[in-house]
Amino acid sequence: MLFLWQAHLSFILLGFVLLGSLQFTRRWRPWLLPSLALVSFIPLNGLPLAAYVRSFTDDLAITTLVFLGWAALLRLGVVHPFKPLTRAQVLGLFVVLTVLLYPATMGLTYVDPYRWGFNPRPMIVVVGLATLVLLRLRNTLGVAMLALATLAFALRLKPSENYWDYLIDPLLAGYCLIAGFAFLAKAAWQHLQSERTTQR
Amino acid sequence: MRALSFRLKFVVAALAVSLIFIAAWRSHPEHVLAPFAVEAPVAQASANPAEPMYSSRFVSSELDDFVHSSSVTALPGGDLMAVWFAGSREGAADVQIRTARFNAKTAEWGAEQVLATRESTVAGTQRYIRKLGNPVIALAPDQRLWMFYVSVSVGGWATSAINVMVSDDLGRNWTAPRQLITSPFFNISTLVRAAPVFHADGSIGLPVYHEFMGKFAEYLYLSADGAVIDKFRISRGKHSLQPTIVPQDERRAVAMLRYAGETHHKVLASRTEDAGQTWSEPYPLEPANPNSSLAAVGTADDGLLVALNDLRDGRFKLSLYGTDANLNDWRNVIELDQSPDPLGQPFSPEAYKAIIGEGFRASSGAQRLPLEQRFLSNLDYRVCKPEGCEFEYEYPYFSRGSDGLYHLVYSWNNTFIKHVSFNDAWLAERL
Repeated sequence: MLFLWQAHLSFILLGFVLLGSLQFTRRWRPWLLPSLALVSFIPLNGLPLAAYVRSFTDDLAITTLVFLGWAALLRLGVVHPFKPLTRAQVLGLFVVLTVLLYPATMGLTYVDPYRWGFNPRPMIVVVGLATLVLLRLRNTLGVAMLALATLAFALRLKPSENYWDYLIDPLLAGYCLIAGFAFLAKAAWQHLQSERTTQR
Repeated sequence: MRALSFRLKFVVAALAVSLIFIAAWRSHPEHVLAPFAVEAPVAQASANPAEPMYSSRFVSSELDDFVHSSSVTALPGGDLMAVWFAGSREGAADVQIRTARFNAKTAEWGAEQVLATRESTVAGTQRYIRKLGNPVIALAPDQRLWMFYVSVSVGGWATSAINVMVSDDLGRNWTAPRQLITSPFFNISTLVRAAPVFHADGSIGLPVYHEFMGKFAEYLYLSADGAVIDKFRISRGKHSLQPTIVPQDERRAVAMLRYAGETHHKVLASRTEDAGQTWSEPYPLEPANPNSSLAAVGTADDGLLVALNDLRDGRFKLSLYGTDANLNDWRNVIELDQSPDPLGQPFSPEAYKAIIGEGFRASSGAQRLPLEQRFLSNLDYRVCKPEGCEFEYEYPYFSRGSDGLYHLVYSWNNTFIKHVSFNDAWLAERL
């Protein structure tokens, strides 16, 4: 059961963040976490429910777990939302990682960035520098995501020898692409609105 | 004071972050790809009889199952172990990975046994599993048996993942299956079909392919304990599958690929000269390929033997070819099995029964011969459709024993797994 720790944690956090975004759960939020923890262990045909989610998503990246943890704390009111610029930095970073990694995995070229994660020393240096930059920018979430993912990689907490599997997964990639696009669209709209106001 | 406080916090945090990244750096040193393991030369005079030898027999014995995608490996002492998948139909939930042992003394296959099921794979991997397929078995130089097979949790074969089981006692006991992490996209779309290649340090090169979005081949590199530590692209795009790899020396190897495109319908080849790290752009060879699996093995004179459906369409004929190391000179060795109709047209059930009955007697071997009447009275969907009954000989897989004998297994009308064995003396007569 120990090697399913990540499946249970993912199930609880994912369920909490999704259910917590619904207005009617506001009163019950403190009870959601322990309830979801219990639900994740309910067996169905010999497998706990959390293992079913894992069957379709694979083990989530550590960055995703940190991000979900932060979102859960936000839903509980423990932390405050980040400033738009801080959020944009995190979204921008993971959009870059997404664009670097996923298109090439389709096999259209001989270049395979996923390989870099198997010989990860150059990647560790680059991600380390990015973490220091984020630290200088006081981006706590970005630093926590990258540093904890790298710590988990050093400790081999996932059944993968590839650094990418700790840094990003399709769920985080999809979220960052959509949220990043929405962020840009909103910024562009606000820019247009302010120009119109100036012209008047 | 506030500025100093931030600077202090920054320095402390930067130090902590640096320590984490240094730990990651130190825990993941660069690995070096070992050269291919060079097989010991075969003791021709003592173990390999001078008389030409060619024989065949059925491996499987369950008459009601759809059987497919077999694989065989030579064990010490001339015994063999084969694996294949069997169930009510391909992709059904009841498909199991079966195995049987060949006794070199009696020259017969023993009873079928179940090696892995959907349930055992669920228990081992702790994932929901819909179906199983494509088992591959190989004996490593350190005498450990490796069995790789694919499983699907959601969707079709294109969303497969690879599972592995290991045996330290030549197949009597096996570890629980575990899943290899091979792809960043939900760990889907990696399939295995052909024999692994062993490297000098015990590491394993596994030829794999992808079917999701693109169709391309890769060389998956596993450590001696079975962790995926690298992978190298053999082909790209949407038209090549199921690489079969034959090492030619410590650094050079050739990969032959199933062609899945719509242009030339020829077998593809790619080469490496650095033990699998880089591969040349695949190019078409002389034999045709109707988007079907093929198998290759090295010969004593540095040539290759290739079993394949040399057809543009259909799988009604399985041929064995010999070729030189440069893959230029192709010679037909034997038609292993074929439909009497040169175009593979279907036959009426009555005509088909007479033809396949003869094929059965020529193929079955003494042990499975008593199954003939039961087999002929049960010609079902696996061979007969409303438009008629057809022949299908496909998915060959090669292994060569330390005694120099060649072993080939393949699907015989999806009803039996057929095993053909021959020696160099027989080959010399045919080439």
